[in-house]
Amino acid sequence: MGHQPFETVLAAHHAEIYRYLLRVTSRRSEADDLSQETFLRAYRAYRALPADANVRAWLFTIATNLARNHFRDDRRRRLAHAAAGAQRSEQDDGPGPEGQTLFNEARGRLACAVERLPLRQRLAFVLRKIHDLDYDAIARSLGCSVDTARAHVFQALRKIRRCLGEMPQVEMRR
Amino acid sequence: MSPARSICPDIEMDLVASATGDAEPGTHERIQRHLARCAPCHDEYQRYRALEHATALLREEAPPPDVIGRARKRLEARLHELRRRTVLYRIFPSPLGQVLIALSEQGAVFAVEYLGTRADIRASRLTRRTDLELMEDGAEIETRFRELMEYLDGKRTHLDWPLDLRLVRSEFHRAVLEATARIPYGAVTSYAGLACAVGRPSAARAVAQALRWNPLPIVIPCHRVVGSSGALTGYAGNRIGLKARLLGTEGVPTVRAGRVPQVPRGRMYVGYPESEEYCLPTCSWLERVEHPHRLILFGNRQRAEAAGRRPCADCRPDLHPLAS
Repeated sequence: MGHQPFETVLAAHHAEIYRYLLRVTSRRSEADDLSQETFLRAYRAYRALPADANVRAWLFTIATNLARNHFRDDRRRRLAHAAAGAQRSEQDDGPGPEGQTLFNEARGRLACAVERLPLRQRLAFVLRKIHDLDYDAIARSLGCSVDTARAHVFQALRKIRRCLGEMPQVEMRR
Repeated sequence: MSPARSICPDIEMDLVASATGDAEPGTHERIQRHLARCAPCHDEYQRYRALEHATALLREEAPPPDVIGRARKRLEARLHELRRRTVLYRIFPSPLGQVLIALSEQGAVFAVEYLGTRADIRASRLTRRTDLELMEDGAEIETRFRELMEYLDGKRTHLDWPLDLRLVRSEFHRAVLEATARIPYGAVTSYAGLACAVGRPSAARAVAQALRWNPLPIVIPCHRVVGSSGALTGYAGNRIGLKARLLGTEGVPTVRAGRVPQVPRGRMYVGYPESEEYCLPTCSWLERVEHPHRLILFGNRQRAEAAGRRPCADCRPDLHPLAS
């Protein structure tokens, strides 16, 4: 096993993976669970990882897969709830307080627009624009081609742009 | 007028890429030239630039450190627990059939198991332990296997391994295994003798039972324990042939007598556990021995002397060696 101890991997990447999952799920409890699961899975597979592998991109792939599974199950649950006539209203502490200042407002709107993106576009957008992963890594995370990954990011930007364009252009026009 | 209608649709993807820093240099320049003469595209470009700036704010945004810190603490607790349960194993083909060697996460040897013809973890007793997390992995275990093969080739008399005795079931079990580990290479003793060694003289059967659950055969040499008659009763289930083979490797002969092979007690050198001498089986001193089942029997003189014993001054096994 030619790589660094797992503690080092954990120390180096935990905060970022947590942030990623929080951005994607918008819920601390879910970011908490999914980031734990990401690292426990990573620990199990770490010994089999080639020594020259990009550990960071690999962790993002695991986290992305877990997030996708999570949303798939979540949707199923929600449908079941809806069928039973229940209304899901849990919207706990999101990424932060929303807009007192214009500064915060632009940020808040953007966060909101990101949250409304379809899942794959949201994942691609966050991986590319927030965490600066290259398209190869994003394609691997999403299990698609590099071109498709680019298209997801493009579509995401377009939707966000439209979404923000409907609102007064206070902060956007500077 | 809606910008979606007025920008040039064929370059939209490149425009967005260029405004958000994702375009190749050539594309970027082309877009810049286009923007100079197309006002709607220029406008749209500026909006994407603004969006890119706002994205930078999101990029810098992080949850409070204590939130991440708490999440990390919870993760570390679970990871610690997982590591404790982790067992690394490999299965190797050997002259004894498929052999599994398992190590704890810290590298202490955890289990050795004969799997017969199946090179498959599903054949292992370890899979029944729901409290263990089994992972197949390599390099450290390879060394252990090499040492084990050296032992089987008679090139190594000790497997001096760090052991993890978590699979030991009780204090009694532990005491039996520890006493077994003290039986020297090339020697045998009896279950009853071992029972005396752990201070439970009447517990020969319990000793045999405890050895049945030896998680580390060969390493803890339970093959060196035989019946009081010398019969090779029981080994790793019903692998008596293996027991004879391991003893043969160490220079302890076995003979066929009826259905069960046995060690020829009358043709082996003997000694008391506490004594520093070894004797011929005919030594007159032996006639006065109160507990013959406690005797340790050696296959040959070299083994007895390697165990730190000197020839008995009465019977002089050094001058009158047994015919081999």
